[in-house]
Amino acid sequence: MAERWAKLAAAMDKLYEFDREAVIPDKLQSGGKFAGLFAGEHVAATEFVIGAFFVLHGVGARDLIGGLFLGNLLAVLSWTFICAPIAVRTRLTLYWYLRKIAGPGVTVLYNILCAFLYCVLAGAMISVSATAVGLLFGIPVPKLGTVFPTSAGWVLITLALGAAFTTVAILGFAKLSRFAEIASPWIFCVFIGGAVAVLPRLGVRPDLGNLWEVATTKIWNGVAVAGQEKLGFWHVLFFAWFCNLAMHVGLSDMALFRYAKKWTYGLFTAFGVYPGHMLAWMASGVMVAAIGREMHPGLMAFEAAGIAGVAGVLLAGWTTANPTLYRAGLALQTITPNWPRWKITLIAGAVTTILACFPVFFLKLLDYVAIYGLVLMPMGAVVFAEHWIFPRLGIEQYLAEKRGWTFNGAALGVWLGTLAIAFILPLHLYFRWLPCWFIALAAYTALMAARRPR
Amino acid sequence: MTHGTLKNLMGGLALLSLAVCLAAPVLHFLGRISEGSFKTTFLVASIAWFVFAAGRGFVRKAPAGREPMP
Repeated sequence: MAERWAKLAAAMDKLYEFDREAVIPDKLQSGGKFAGLFAGEHVAATEFVIGAFFVLHGVGARDLIGGLFLGNLLAVLSWTFICAPIAVRTRLTLYWYLRKIAGPGVTVLYNILCAFLYCVLAGAMISVSATAVGLLFGIPVPKLGTVFPTSAGWVLITLALGAAFTTVAILGFAKLSRFAEIASPWIFCVFIGGAVAVLPRLGVRPDLGNLWEVATTKIWNGVAVAGQEKLGFWHVLFFAWFCNLAMHVGLSDMALFRYAKKWTYGLFTAFGVYPGHMLAWMASGVMVAAIGREMHPGLMAFEAAGIAGVAGVLLAGWTTANPTLYRAGLALQTITPNWPRWKITLIAGAVTTILACFPVFFLKLLDYVAIYGLVLMPMGAVVFAEHWIFPRLGIEQYLAEKRGWTFNGAALGVWLGTLAIAFILPLHLYFRWLPCWFIALAAYTALMAARRPR
Repeated sequence: MTHGTLKNLMGGLALLSLAVCLAAPVLHFLGRISEGSFKTTFLVASIAWFVFAAGRGFVRKAPAGREPMP
């Protein structure tokens, strides 16, 4: 068994070999590069759904604006004060740093879990694109609350899109990545242009004199649609904060910030989250209000911007599902070391496509985003404790690496234990991660302190 | 025309196309153009953006790959 884990770990190490070494000073990037990188991020297909869901969940206009502003600010500060400083000090990716701390066995499990989470996320993106293509063939989009596929047409469309996305992920990942770079600013224009174009339909006058009145009565009027939970200021704030939890508090953006000259480059994430997680979400809220609060991203974009809008939804899904599938394949390759990349990407694509047939993943996207961050967050707390707290308490760092442990039992136990606590914690799903982060931090520190030689 | 000049021209036209994408809905909102005209203009400007931006090679150099995110 131990030998099997060692083989898996060795296979995984080989995959990530290219970023094993700490970044050397010559390779560091300027602040302008980071600003440019983040400016094009956070405009994915899921933005069409998230912003619309805030309207369907009856968020009020003031709660939305205040919640998004402060939540995104907290996200930027999390990148700046939690993720970037560790990345700049270690110059390592999370993968390699976690390996030193938790052992190669835990990183294998972490990778497999990531692969599954990526497949679900890519599946949701395919579903969103399917709403756009389905519009062209008159295929109805599953209603809110639907779990299983509702028509053969929906299944056929998602299967066809999944097959197309997977084929491109196998054959032309690099080319599509370049295409995604070009598409990104245009997709942002689809959001903004579409929202502006439907304002007259909502009754906004050209002098904008009644904009606030329309916003508070016809868009974010504080009334949830039937069957949807009512959300308020704190829900929006926490959602904006944890939307990229795996990246900031979960530390996976160490892969980026290890190239930063200074930890303060974390502040550049504001260039991404405010346009993507504030303006684009508000824009999709405006668009869904204009179609009578129906969760149908394809129709929403078509009504707002015509054929270009439909293309926007399709491309947003395609360009973001593609790297997600690629990453899922990369993570899964660890358990099938002798398989070629195309075969494992095909497996990941097949799983993703099957998941995409189930509308629950995009119709429950807000909850899924919360779970995605929550599941990966405890490992961020483990790394944070080991990096900052252990030296101050005189606890020896990197024991897993020094003693050659395959599994750091404390790290694995804290991860599983924190998730168990999160499962039973009597709090709204959106609020659970914060107390759980502190629980993970304290528990890991206590367990490792108890191992100190007396 | 030199390669550099052509590249600059493509870049300028790409940015102009994007500006048209943003201006068309504003003009529709202000009542200057009809919904049909706005949608047609938006579509044509969108195609122009992809043509010129691809020609210009508007690709940013990312420091590293990023994990998938919502």
